[in-house]
Amino acid sequence: MTDNNRDRFDELLEDAARTYNRPPDERQMPLDDIWNAVEVQAFAPARRPARFTQWLRIAAALVIGVGIGRLSLFTATSRPTTSVAKVDSAPRNQVANGPTQPLDPATSRYLGQAAALLIALPAETNVGRPDESFIKRANELLLTTRLLLDSESGSDPGLRNLLEDLELVLVQVVRLEKERSPSRRTEMELIQQALDQRDVIPRLRTAASEYAADD
Amino acid sequence: MTRTAFALQTTPKVNEPELIARVLAGDRLAGRELYDAHAPRVFRLAYRLTGDAELAREFTQDTFVRAFHRLADFRGDAAFSTWIHRITVTVVANAMRKVRRLRERETDLTDLDSAHPASGKDGSRRIDPDLRERLAKAIDALPEIYRTTLIMHDLEGYTHTEIAAVLGVAEGTCKSRLSAARAQLRAALADFAKEYES
Repeated sequence: MTDNNRDRFDELLEDAARTYNRPPDERQMPLDDIWNAVEVQAFAPARRPARFTQWLRIAAALVIGVGIGRLSLFTATSRPTTSVAKVDSAPRNQVANGPTQPLDPATSRYLGQAAALLIALPAETNVGRPDESFIKRANELLLTTRLLLDSESGSDPGLRNLLEDLELVLVQVVRLEKERSPSRRTEMELIQQALDQRDVIPRLRTAASEYAADD
Repeated sequence: MTRTAFALQTTPKVNEPELIARVLAGDRLAGRELYDAHAPRVFRLAYRLTGDAELAREFTQDTFVRAFHRLADFRGDAAFSTWIHRITVTVVANAMRKVRRLRERETDLTDLDSAHPASGKDGSRRIDPDLRERLAKAIDALPEIYRTTLIMHDLEGYTHTEIAAVLGVAEGTCKSRLSAARAQLRAALADFAKEYES
């Protein structure tokens, strides 16, 4: 490369500094909105004790539920008659499609709620912007999804796979709240596409019914 | 090279150790002050790395939530700005691996004109839009460690010392990564070389 080219390349990089993923001016950054969300999550105990304890209860229920699930599995596998039943039910618990281990009631209920929310999504968006309570619910489910991913349950490869797909979809749903762009219809199509391609709703329903079936 | 100059040494003059102590005691106002001092640069870096306002918002939020939750672990060995930028880069890198799957489906939606608007306000030589787009795609295609280094140094004006501290590597490593990144960009634009000379 000649010196002239090198100068030109530097000029290109300078141009990139002005144009590539150019951040908005500081006055246009949503810093207050971000802070509101940070404050709720980082300072919640002092400000919103009721809400925090509610999440603590949910988290505790999940942890206890997971413990019961593990204990059930241990007990079940130690009994010959139950072991036979496990072999029979194995095909519906494929690693790529759903949980490989029995779910606890709280996780089952949460998966059912997620399926219900996603089933209601098209109706919500047909009338325009999804209802605030709908988005709030999606946000709560997203948080629970991430809690589960970080919990011991997230180590189950089948459940983790399902939760990661669900997280991806829920993130898109939650993003619908903020963006009022003309591309909303396309965004909805993308969400629908993600749901269809990964069979998210059928897998959620199957996983949610696992507990009832095994019960 | 002219830089945007948003380097770490521009940290606002606040008594950070005191602020941090207050935050650890649960003082939300101190938290807000600490946030105000660093959020614009964190958002700016997250935006540069993602090219998406909503992702930049989400990752900035995640960065500060994590920072406040782990504040007790911050010992002050490095500057707070270095520490929080390190969290930012980690948050963005981890999350973008997931987002990339989504991005592949969203490619058709990308409005390159709005993402890379025309420049020239400062009277610099006009850049061919095709060349600009080619460069943008070449930057996007860089390996993550090269891309982060290039964006921080050439686009955001961080020094090698700052980048090395944020990424936890030696300065020499940082320099060699930048050199490799530039070499890859030049290679990607090689067939435009004749246009350079014209």
